[in-house]
Amino acid sequence: MNENMVNMMNALEDQAIVDPRTGPIAMRLNKVSVAFNGRVAVRDVTFDVPANNVTALIGPSGSGKTTLLRSLNRLHDLTKGAKVSGQILLGDDDVYGGAIPATVLRSRIGMVFQRPNPFPTMSLYDNVVSGLRFNGVKKKSILDAAAEESLRAAALWDEIKDRLKAHGSTLSGGQQQRLCIARALAVEPEVLLMDEPTSALDPIATQKIEELISQLKSRVTIVIVTHNMQQAARVSDLTAFLLMGEDRAGEQIEVAPTLKLFSQPDDPRTMDYIQGRFG
Amino acid sequence: MVATANSSQTAAGAEGRSPSASARGAYEWILLVVAGLFGIVSIWFVGTIIWQSASTFKSQGLYLLTGANWVPGAGTGLPSQYGGRAMIFGTIETSLIAMVIAVVIGTGTSLAINFFVPQKMKTFVATVVELLAAVPSVVYGVWGMLVLAPWFMNTVGPFLSSIPGGTAVLGTTVAGKSLLLAGLVLAVMVLPTYVAISREVIGAVPHELVEASLSLGATRWQTLWKTVLPTARIGLFGASSLALGRAIGETVAVSLVCGGVVGTTFKPLEPGVTIAGWIATQWGEAVGSDQIGALFALGAILMVVSLAMSVFSRRLVARQRRAAAVV
Repeated sequence: MNENMVNMMNALEDQAIVDPRTGPIAMRLNKVSVAFNGRVAVRDVTFDVPANNVTALIGPSGSGKTTLLRSLNRLHDLTKGAKVSGQILLGDDDVYGGAIPATVLRSRIGMVFQRPNPFPTMSLYDNVVSGLRFNGVKKKSILDAAAEESLRAAALWDEIKDRLKAHGSTLSGGQQQRLCIARALAVEPEVLLMDEPTSALDPIATQKIEELISQLKSRVTIVIVTHNMQQAARVSDLTAFLLMGEDRAGEQIEVAPTLKLFSQPDDPRTMDYIQGRFG
Repeated sequence: MVATANSSQTAAGAEGRSPSASARGAYEWILLVVAGLFGIVSIWFVGTIIWQSASTFKSQGLYLLTGANWVPGAGTGLPSQYGGRAMIFGTIETSLIAMVIAVVIGTGTSLAINFFVPQKMKTFVATVVELLAAVPSVVYGVWGMLVLAPWFMNTVGPFLSSIPGGTAVLGTTVAGKSLLLAGLVLAVMVLPTYVAISREVIGAVPHELVEASLSLGATRWQTLWKTVLPTARIGLFGASSLALGRAIGETVAVSLVCGGVVGTTFKPLEPGVTIAGWIATQWGEAVGSDQIGALFALGAILMVVSLAMSVFSRRLVARQRRAAAVV
């Protein structure tokens, strides 16, 4: 275990541990499994996502973190042969119940991807308001206000307010990722899914995104997949640890308040992972 | 033993292959000669066309572009009239009709192949499309003449003419052969070319953008229309330029179905001519008269039009690429 981790864990142990799940719940996962062409990739994941908190999904490669994340906004619908079973609730609504169209659902659950993916043919402004336009908003005053508000929320407004007509490719990687966050926020989702949002960024850009995540949780519930345990420890309130089982399906090992999971995990495999014995 | 034999062979081979100074010299000479030949042929080609058409440009002047009559003067004692308006209009009209049909249907087909056709069928569809692209144009022409022309004459033409105002705008067809039919045959002919390229262009749109679009609540239709097509537009433009190049210079297929009449109205249901088709069909009568020069002049016009389009599309692609900075 490296020294940073030791220090961090010592610091964590001194704090009182509060379970965020005692407050309001944004999403509930009940025995969620994902299979591709009959091969199970994630099995029986059950936990609650606390509202206005950051929930981190950690685990080694192949543990199904991203697969699980993408089941939350029905992104697997696109993949032929993908099947999600179990139940996922967004508030009181069943994500896979069929009562809510996938498009409406996805405007309530935003997503930020591993690599920044601004629309290359759109200006910065058009990128930010693209989600609103998809949802039928046409009035310029509403779009303008939403663009400024979400760019401010993504800590990008001051950097780009003078060149909103420029293209996304003129931004740095970190700025592009914040643009994508602003784009997701503009639709005012209840939940924001982040799939390793800093894996393609340098340390300074990463730090900015992490600060942003901490600021954003007052307005949106965040579920973040990360390879980086320090990142999970820094930004999240609840952590779910997944591990690949014997049949290569990802399984939930432990879900606990982040402070607890990193200081006194219940499962020895969690301890092994955070101490770097495998992964 | 084997190893020894091998190594000695390799050594001998390497020695034999090592280029000596004189061998490299000969190699460079061959390349220079080949490149020089290409240059000479190009100059010869362009020079001949200019040389042969010069007298027509001089005698006809602007009439070559705007004139309605194509009347060789040989044997009549009257001056020749070589007006290219019907051919130029015919070429533009048939190409436009072909492009509108091919781009709309072709883009839809490419989207369907990429997003809706099951994986197993994709290869099959792609192979069929590529095979169709390799069919010689005369086959399309014969099909148009023997199958489509009667259908146009008996069904499509009367139907279009029966629409109120149809005759005024579209004209009436007598034998089915018309500019519209030529445009349709051209469309069918260039469709496989267009689909073969646009299918790959659309397939190259990063999947991440599709996911980004959907994750914002876009419908599949919005994703195709607002995300996939704009991202692919540069490549789609390239595909349509190539298809247009094929349509504009097409000779045999068009001359079989366009009707071959130097018209004055250019209504789609009436027969007409195109530059390439006219050159091909008039050749036999023209030999030995000043009509040869006139046909060369038409050829020069077609060449300039194609060249201008090529330059224009290259510029447009380059500009869009700079603006979007997408590769």
